[in-house]
Amino acid sequence: MLWVDKYRPKTLDKVLVHEDVAQNLKKLVTEQDCPHLLFYGPPGSGKKTLIMALLRQMFGASAEKVKVENKNWKVDAGSRTIELELTTLSSTHHVELNPSDAGFQDRYIVQEIIKEMAKNRPIDTKGKKGFKVLVLNEVDKLSREAQHSLRRTMEKYSASCRLILCCDSSSKVTEAVRSRCLNIRVNAPKGDEIVKVLEFIGKKEGLQLPSGFAARIAEKSNRSLRRAILSFETCRVQQYPFTNNQVIPSMDWEEYVFEIASDIMKEQSPKRLFQVRGKLYELLVNCIPPEIILKRLLYELLKKLDFELKHEVCHWAAYYEHRMRLGQKAIFHIEAFVAKFMSIYKGFLIATFG
Amino acid sequence: MAMDIPASEDFGWLEADLDLHEDYIDEDLEPPLPEEEEAHIEEVHKRPQSESITKPDLLISDNRTIGSETEILQPKKRLLNPSLLNPSNVDESVEDKRCKFDSSVTEDEDDWMRYSPPPEEEVVVVEEDKEKFISRFATDIEGDFMPVTAPDGDRVYAKLIKEGNDDKLKKLEVKGPFKGLMLEPIGVLMQKVEQAELRKALEDSVASQIDENLAETPVVTEQLWVDKYSPNSFVELLSDEHTNREVLMWLKQWDTSVFGSELKSTRDDVLSALKRHSSVSQHKRVSSKNFSGRNTEFASHSETFGEHNRFEKEKYDSHASQELHNKKSKDSGPPEQKILLLCGAPGLGKTTLAHVAARHCGYRVVEINASDDRSSATIETKILDVVQMNSVMADSRPKCLVIDEIDGALGDGKGAVDVILKMVSADKKSDTGTESIIQSEQSGKSSSKKKRKDTALLRPVICICNDLYAPALRPLRNVAKVHVFVQPTVNRIVSRLKYICNKEGMRTSSIALTALAEYTECDIRACLNTLQFLNKKKEMLNVLDISSQVIGRKDTSKSVFDIWKEIFQKKRLKGVRKSMESCRSPVNEFTSLHSLISNCGNYDLLSDGIHENILQLNYHDPVMRKTVKCLHSLEVSDIFHQYLMRTQKMSLLVYQPAIAITIHGVVSQIEKPNIQWPKSFHRYRTSLVDKVEALHTWHNKISPCISRHISTKSFVEDLVSPLLHILSPPTLRPVALHLLSEKQKNEMAQLVRTMVSYAITYRNKKIDPLPGKLGYEALTDTQILSFDPPISDFVNFEGHRSNYFILALAVKQVLSHEVEKQKILNKSKDGNERTDLSRKDESSKPGPAQKNTINIRNLKNSSAPNQRETRSPANTIVSASTSGRSAMPSSEILKPSETTKKRTGGSFNFFERFRKLSANGSQITETVKKAPATSERDSRPVLFKFNEGFTNAVKRPVRMHEFLM
Repeated sequence: MLWVDKYRPKTLDKVLVHEDVAQNLKKLVTEQDCPHLLFYGPPGSGKKTLIMALLRQMFGASAEKVKVENKNWKVDAGSRTIELELTTLSSTHHVELNPSDAGFQDRYIVQEIIKEMAKNRPIDTKGKKGFKVLVLNEVDKLSREAQHSLRRTMEKYSASCRLILCCDSSSKVTEAVRSRCLNIRVNAPKGDEIVKVLEFIGKKEGLQLPSGFAARIAEKSNRSLRRAILSFETCRVQQYPFTNNQVIPSMDWEEYVFEIASDIMKEQSPKRLFQVRGKLYELLVNCIPPEIILKRLLYELLKKLDFELKHEVCHWAAYYEHRMRLGQKAIFHIEAFVAKFMSIYKGFLIATFG
Repeated sequence: MAMDIPASEDFGWLEADLDLHEDYIDEDLEPPLPEEEEAHIEEVHKRPQSESITKPDLLISDNRTIGSETEILQPKKRLLNPSLLNPSNVDESVEDKRCKFDSSVTEDEDDWMRYSPPPEEEVVVVEEDKEKFISRFATDIEGDFMPVTAPDGDRVYAKLIKEGNDDKLKKLEVKGPFKGLMLEPIGVLMQKVEQAELRKALEDSVASQIDENLAETPVVTEQLWVDKYSPNSFVELLSDEHTNREVLMWLKQWDTSVFGSELKSTRDDVLSALKRHSSVSQHKRVSSKNFSGRNTEFASHSETFGEHNRFEKEKYDSHASQELHNKKSKDSGPPEQKILLLCGAPGLGKTTLAHVAARHCGYRVVEINASDDRSSATIETKILDVVQMNSVMADSRPKCLVIDEIDGALGDGKGAVDVILKMVSADKKSDTGTESIIQSEQSGKSSSKKKRKDTALLRPVICICNDLYAPALRPLRNVAKVHVFVQPTVNRIVSRLKYICNKEGMRTSSIALTALAEYTECDIRACLNTLQFLNKKKEMLNVLDISSQVIGRKDTSKSVFDIWKEIFQKKRLKGVRKSMESCRSPVNEFTSLHSLISNCGNYDLLSDGIHENILQLNYHDPVMRKTVKCLHSLEVSDIFHQYLMRTQKMSLLVYQPAIAITIHGVVSQIEKPNIQWPKSFHRYRTSLVDKVEALHTWHNKISPCISRHISTKSFVEDLVSPLLHILSPPTLRPVALHLLSEKQKNEMAQLVRTMVSYAITYRNKKIDPLPGKLGYEALTDTQILSFDPPISDFVNFEGHRSNYFILALAVKQVLSHEVEKQKILNKSKDGNERTDLSRKDESSKPGPAQKNTINIRNLKNSSAPNQRETRSPANTIVSASTSGRSAMPSSEILKPSETTKKRTGGSFNFFERFRKLSANGSQITETVKKAPATSERDSRPVLFKFNEGFTNAVKRPVRMHEFLM
């Protein structure tokens, strides 16, 4: 197992980062009244870990015995029946799924599964009817229709099931859904928190950590705990007695974006833009989300940019990202941003150097 | 006389060489068969006779001619006595020489001599004609004539009196086309003659027409102008000169196979005559010494192939036109592609071209139209009729099949395509066979056509379509020679229209005609119909409201390629058009482009195509403003599209074309864009789907407690690169497992556990066409082990090299093995199976006669016998042969049987026992096994008793499950 999984806290007590959140959750659950929850925060901040720990807190160890199911759903939608297939993880107490995998038919999934859960409510030891928990991942990718339908079912079936929603950004979750949940913000861990975790792992593994080394990894990790631990393990594998100036391997796609950025800085012409398009396609093909590409590209460009241009470039990046989210073909928009940048930069160069 | 005769003979050779040389060579080079001789004699015999019969027709008959005639008669009579021939021959000088040469005259020589006079004689006839019936104008001569050019360039036409020479002439003409029609001078001459003819004809008809028009009210049964002025000859064609020529060339390539020895149409008469004429004019320059050389040359024409060509080439090297002609004769025979596919917009004259060209080459055109029955069965017989049979009717010209509108109906039109394809494929199969047949055919001996295989394609087939990319035509496109019609130039059309208008007495301006032609997109048919209509209404063609005057515009939707071209390409402003720029303002361009794009309708594809090609354009854009603007418009189009799809407000689609027009305004250039089909986006889509799918399947394989924390996004963003590093630690030495230190073993074990938990292993992979990361490995090792879920592909960016360490092959092998082992272990652990039983035994030191009782469930029947080689505990060594250790399974249940059993192998020879056991294993067990015992054993669990004692034999670890097998 990777260290990421090996040292993942199983219970709320063992949580190292977001201790306050964990403690609050613990209090919340022990009082037996659990509202719907909405966890949101950047990737690698520990939302999922918290949710799992929470489930364990609620249901004990049996929540960890999960089975994977590839379920086929037949949903009656008025005149026709829709057949859907979706993978779910389920224990006796909860069901986990990723409704956005169903694409635009996600709302049927959500409704159907909630109804089914309402039908067979578990009975606890005292003969009291308990509730099941439905964990929905990537709620921000849920279609608007699904979110609307969620609104009603959340109220209707609140007696039999609790929803735990998990997403990167709450801005894409409709107000209505947000107001029905207890929002729990899981922010990205700070540098010293990451260092703390890394040192903890180092101690457990019996490694000698030179001072400042963990800080370097934390700095490079972009405040993602997952990435920090992964690159820590990578460093361990590559060279064990750590040295302070050891290379911390970076992500390949980031290096590639860096290449693209330097391509753009070198030459600004339609021909170069065409080459850049090819590279962008390469990134997109490998499932890297276009928003992240755009963000990273902006980051790399800003590093090399003259101060007075930074503001303008950021503005345009935001502009094009917005349009990208409105549109469908991400490549058009990223390319448009690159073209815009080239235009601005070239104009600037001409103005400065004649 | 003696001086004269060689000259006249010369001339004769020239005139009639073709048919002569064939025979000449035949006789010279090979000993002819008696039958052939007979035939020649017959021929010779006949000719003088017929000539003498028609002698009155010859207006002037020379003594000499008569003399030679008689001479011809004489030798024939005195066939067996050649010596008599010589004294009577007028051509003494020549014949004497021959005589000397052939002192012992063979029959062959004799034959040759007898045969040689005819050309001489024929020449004389012609000469006589020339003297009498020479005119400078072909029209003055009635009947057949022949053009002759004097050395000083004067050209005259000589009347041909052909009575006696009928068969001979035919032969001449048969050879004609072999020499290639496309000779430049021939083409020109031909055109001249035809033009003259046509002009005359036209003048006649037009004169009468005008008279009619003027004299009386227009006749009700007026012919359509389109038909009336449709081109009748090749030169009149309005379509692109190059295309015309190509089509004609293609048709001409059929000549050798089609007109092997067949009769020719009158047109071919003219052609061959012309050709003869040209060869004559060349000949005058050549000295008479070249004679024999030329003879063989012409002979080689008729034989077409072979080494003669080389010789021929040397001869004609300097002559450019002849070279062309040579090239033609080289690849004569049915052309490579036996089907011609003409495509282009309606009204450009495809059908006309096909008809005119086919007629021009001497074919009878048989047209299968869209209006005909085009079901597969009927069309097959029809096509076969046309393509393989010769008509016995009067019009015995070979047929040429023209299938019009072949792209028309999908279901029915396909019938024709299928039939043709079948024939072509059949042709290809029998190609090797046919070639020799063709050759023999060409030698003109016999019409061996009937020997041919039945389904082969023997006649040219011309298919005509509008849309080259119609799905039905896809297979045909591969085998056919495709010609795409381009629009004829406006000037050409305008001049033609003007000519017609003049003839019809309609007053027009060339500006108006130009406008008309442009408006109809050079559709001649539409132009003519419009003009005729206006003429009927006695209206003038008006420049300004052409759109209202042209009735019925074609409703053509162009292909997307054309639309992209329209978007990227600015219309060239012609001189003529500049004058009317006022009315053809950008507004006009906007509307035309708008209608074009909205006719297409597939905006998504359109914007993809624009996106694909726009950066390849060559527009001037120093600060990238234009690019930004274009991409901005594309963005808008994309957002628009997305919005439309989401809200289904299709009425908003109206605004889509405007976006493309904006782009047109920004980047359109005059130069022709090189447009490519938008592939990259679709490629991206499909490969993205593939990768996501691969990730999903992998994701499902990982145990849920890990996989629930990984999403696709976090995988590609955070996990892949470190994972690859972690999975291939550079510290791992490629040595055997037991050589590793304790620490390394630990690391290894951890790595294996990681791989198992992430469901990753190494798999043998075939060397893929794109050896990406593992490229250099592919060079060294034929066997590649790569990650089984191909996770390394996710960092495999083009032009980027990930720097994770790649393990050596040996390590990979060890790892994959270990992973498999670990998996099995895990599985067995899950099922609480104790398969590592034997290992446990190993670990427990062999104590003195330690007894282990093990309960084994589900013991299989087949595995049982080995276990039940039971003997007394004292016999430990015997069973050591199987276990390799002193562990000895003894079954308590079977004790009764073991006492009766005799030991087959003693303990004296260890290896002997081994062999015995393996060879006679089944036998032994057979004797040992008792049926009741088996059933008894099956009914309940078997008890094993391990009795570990001492041994001095070779020790070998054996697993428990090996017993169970």
